[in-house]
Amino acid sequence: MAEHDKSGRGPNSDTFLPLSRVRTIMKSSDTGLITNEVLFLMTKCTEMFVQHLASEAYMESFPASQQPSTETLKYDHLSQLVNKRKNLEFLLQIVPEKIRVHEFQEMLRLNRSGGSDEEEDDDSGSGTESDE
Amino acid sequence: MVERIEDLNLPNAVIARLIKESLPDGANVSKEARAAIARAASVFAIFVTSSSTALAHKQNHKTITAKDILQTLTELDFESFVPSLTQDLEVYRKMVKEKKESKANKKDASSTEKPNSSAATEEAAE
Repeated sequence: MAEHDKSGRGPNSDTFLPLSRVRTIMKSSDTGLITNEVLFLMTKCTEMFVQHLASEAYMESFPASQQPSTETLKYDHLSQLVNKRKNLEFLLQIVPEKIRVHEFQEMLRLNRSGGSDEEEDDDSGSGTESDE
Repeated sequence: MVERIEDLNLPNAVIARLIKESLPDGANVSKEARAAIARAASVFAIFVTSSSTALAHKQNHKTITAKDILQTLTELDFESFVPSLTQDLEVYRKMVKEKKESKANKKDASSTEKPNSSAATEEAAE
């Protein structure tokens, strides 16, 4: 869990992501004035999030490979993690689990025969829940 | 405001580096996984920003503060980020303070040289 220590980085005031880009992203959600301090903090926590997401997905998929390993982190590892973690719920539609075409067709068929779909593709959470 | 949706993307090279840093040596990341993480990061930033804004508004504040963000992270179940971010913030505040002081010193030394250096910082705060 010590992904921060592992990178050998203590607390510091350097950011890797460009502040201007993070500001643009923040502005897209109708925030008022953004102080430099808040911008710094958002950039930092976005960086932390990137590392958190990557390392959690990796650890979850390759539990024993702490040491040098040549495993590859793939999309599916991420979507599995997103499906599992409560605090990543907001990413369910951003990193959805991939399904095969015939599975999708099956889903459509079931939906149709199940009837009573008043509105077509309005957030269809039913597909992901079905196997639990 | 945002003109193109690409404006919300974070630079690939930086994301790749951050990911690499957080994985064991020798581990690889597929292109698709990297793209997904980059997308997720943008959405995370938007999510935290709008939640913090909501929190600030609830307290009748117009602008979000560092405290709002930290509190939001806790509420969103990312409290594991808070200790390290708090430390980073302390370092940042110290750095800003030192910068200000050294600027003031410089000003004393050569007071007529750069009259609009303070204007630049104000602009950056907008």
